[in-house]
Amino acid sequence: MQRPDWAPDTIDIERPSVARMYDYYLGGSHNFAADRAAAQAMVAAVPEAPLMAQANRAFLRRAVHHLTEAGIRQFLDIGSGIPTVGNVHEIAQRIDPESRVVYVDVDPVAVAHSREILAGNDRAVVVQEDLRHPEAILNHPEVRKLLDLSQPVAVMIVAVLHFVSDDDRPAELLATLRDALAPGSYLVLSQASDDGRSADERAEAERVYRRTDSPLWIRSRAELTALFDGFELLDPGVVWVPQWRPDTPDSAEDAERAVFMGGVGRLGG
Amino acid sequence: MAESPEAASRPSTFARAWAKAVSGTSYLPMTQAQLEALLHRLTGQLAGALLAEPFDLRAGHRVGAELVGAHIASAEGLGRTVEVIQLRLVRDLGLVAEDVEDRMARLLAAVATGYARALRDRTLDEQESIRRAAMVARTQAERALRASEARFRHQATHDPLTGLPNRTLFTERLTAALNEPGRGAQRVGVCFLDLDRFKVVNDTLGHQVGDRLLTMVAERLCQDLGEHLVARLGGDEFVILVDGTGGTDDMVKVAETALAAVRTPASVDGHELQVSASIGIVERQVAGANPSDLMRAADATLHWAKAAGGARWALYDAERSRRELARYALSAAIPAALERGEFYLDYQPLTSLRDGRLLGVEALVRWRHPELGVLRPDSFIGLAEETGLIVQLGGWVLAEACREAEAWSAGGAQAPFVSVNLAVRQVHRPGLVQDVLALLRQTGLPPERLQLEITESTMMSTAEEPVRALRVLADLGVRIAIDDFGTGYSNLAYLRDLPVTELKVAGEFVAGLRSPAVGRTDERILASLVSLAHALDLTVTAEGVETAGQAERLRAIGCDAAQGWHFGRPAPADRILARIR
Repeated sequence: MQRPDWAPDTIDIERPSVARMYDYYLGGSHNFAADRAAAQAMVAAVPEAPLMAQANRAFLRRAVHHLTEAGIRQFLDIGSGIPTVGNVHEIAQRIDPESRVVYVDVDPVAVAHSREILAGNDRAVVVQEDLRHPEAILNHPEVRKLLDLSQPVAVMIVAVLHFVSDDDRPAELLATLRDALAPGSYLVLSQASDDGRSADERAEAERVYRRTDSPLWIRSRAELTALFDGFELLDPGVVWVPQWRPDTPDSAEDAERAVFMGGVGRLGG
Repeated sequence: MAESPEAASRPSTFARAWAKAVSGTSYLPMTQAQLEALLHRLTGQLAGALLAEPFDLRAGHRVGAELVGAHIASAEGLGRTVEVIQLRLVRDLGLVAEDVEDRMARLLAAVATGYARALRDRTLDEQESIRRAAMVARTQAERALRASEARFRHQATHDPLTGLPNRTLFTERLTAALNEPGRGAQRVGVCFLDLDRFKVVNDTLGHQVGDRLLTMVAERLCQDLGEHLVARLGGDEFVILVDGTGGTDDMVKVAETALAAVRTPASVDGHELQVSASIGIVERQVAGANPSDLMRAADATLHWAKAAGGARWALYDAERSRRELARYALSAAIPAALERGEFYLDYQPLTSLRDGRLLGVEALVRWRHPELGVLRPDSFIGLAEETGLIVQLGGWVLAEACREAEAWSAGGAQAPFVSVNLAVRQVHRPGLVQDVLALLRQTGLPPERLQLEITESTMMSTAEEPVRALRVLADLGVRIAIDDFGTGYSNLAYLRDLPVTELKVAGEFVAGLRSPAVGRTDERILASLVSLAHALDLTVTAEGVETAGQAERLRAIGCDAAQGWHFGRPAPADRILARIR
């Protein structure tokens, strides 16, 4: 068995995991005491944290729904976390059971859990990899087996890029993924943004996440827009996630409280 | 019990208000419209339950459970649901019943109960599943760690080319075999194997072919001797560890199997290769053995097998090893002994057979060893030649002989020349001529009073430089003698072209003169030699003359001079010289 150099030697559930904190925000119980303590500290600092997670999850749902309607049948969800309700494969396969989904996460517990949930579904798999190693993801045998990269794929990088530091060159990571995609593919991107936030709130949020294995990197709308390099941004561009094609007009109210900004881009050609 | 006329349109008003109330309490994996549709259906069930006769708690339980099932599953979700039902259900739907307040309380209790039960079950299920995932992940992480440790361990203990255990693992096993308690009476053995002339394969056919050959040898050794540990120590060295042998016979069998395995021709990249191996065998009792001694012994034994021509095994012999070690220690001590002045020279007379005059003396080196006493050259010269120390030692002998011989002329009578042995390495040194000239200049010894004794084999070399150097020295008047003539190639043809002045005939021929039967032949050989030498204008000195009879016969043959006990044993210079004064 190959153990990637970034994978931990042991599983320490005393250390908060961002995947399980996210599950907690979404109302799930796939979490441990340390995760809940960290999530509660986050809520104390940023009361909207659960709302953020929910709004982000709703953005994911709407984006997958839209892409499936647009004919996309292959999804690569990087940083998929704990596969709680409203997974990509649930949404996509409800519309077309032939849809194929590869989940990627760095958290071994999240991966083990995903594997259990996906058991028996031969069109959805999970692989343990790191967003910071796009070649390893693209060349992973499971990815190669399930996805046909000569056909359009939707790459989902939802609520995870804020765990990638600028030192890890997110633009280059995205370019590597983009260059492997066929024309007509999509990039769905969202992450924490600080437009309109006070410096105190940002500092407190970053402090909470420093306790986890994944510190937080907050980015502006301009930075996020630049990350869509090579893609044509779909309307309405990079926005607060509730503003991205809302189900009902009023659900986009107070959108900046969602903290997450996101957008969907299409690879032309 | 009745509904107001406009009731049919009202459930959707209520459902919308309910949807708004629970929005944001937890993540709802559906659109607002889907949520409203769901709650619209549940509204119908609530209304039915409120009015049903008899009142049925289970309808409320079902609604609560369905809410959780649809992921409207949080404390806030329940609170808002209770609130909106209590405040609006009866009013929005215009429900009319006698005991509606009472029924409402019981309905809410049923919804809350069903909800809490479902939520509790779901929470427990989720906790169980995340714990299971953590356990699986931990097991996998530990397995991966163990696998990587095992892989690392395998890499550290195996040879990447052949896949055989490497020196590390072999040493571990050998150490374990020797140190395992309670088996001191058992025996272990090793066969230390080395391919003969493997370097030639590498040099002529390339390393790739060499590597393939090594791999093939490794495979065969494993195949034929797989029950033992077969390891590759590096290069073309392999070793076989036999644990629990019954004696040397067992080891010889293993060695012969290994030799046969190597000997079988191998086809490598279109080359038919037939190689052989040499094996050193050590077999001993576990008690008192230690791994490094055992491997040293195996290594030494392997060299015996190589020295004997290869393609064979040799068995360790403690006595032989001890002798070699002593010899080695002795040669290693030569430089220090030179510095401490432990060497000195004795001289043996070279006497004219014509008039009994002392023509010269042969310088013979002695070592006054602080522990071993006086050592004769045969106990240390051979090894000094092998190790190259002969150059240093021989240089000292030459210088000392020249220095001492110069003083002998002070006696007045015609002083004898001094004859000094030159080793092959000395003759082949580029600075020979300069060194000899410098010595003669420094000591003042006339060149004609120095004789250099070289062996036949020195002159057989194809190199031209030594011959040229000797010719320069001969032209200056230095005497050149061929030592031990008759024991080597005895090639007379080259004598014609060489700057040689004298032949020293080996003592073996002279020894034959003792017994009349053999003596006839030897005498005829000697006579031929002498006449041949004279024809070439060379003088002849017979070595090893021990009796007056031998001397007489040599004189009769026409031999010019003689050396041997009969004419004087080696002795210090002053004692030899005293005889002629």
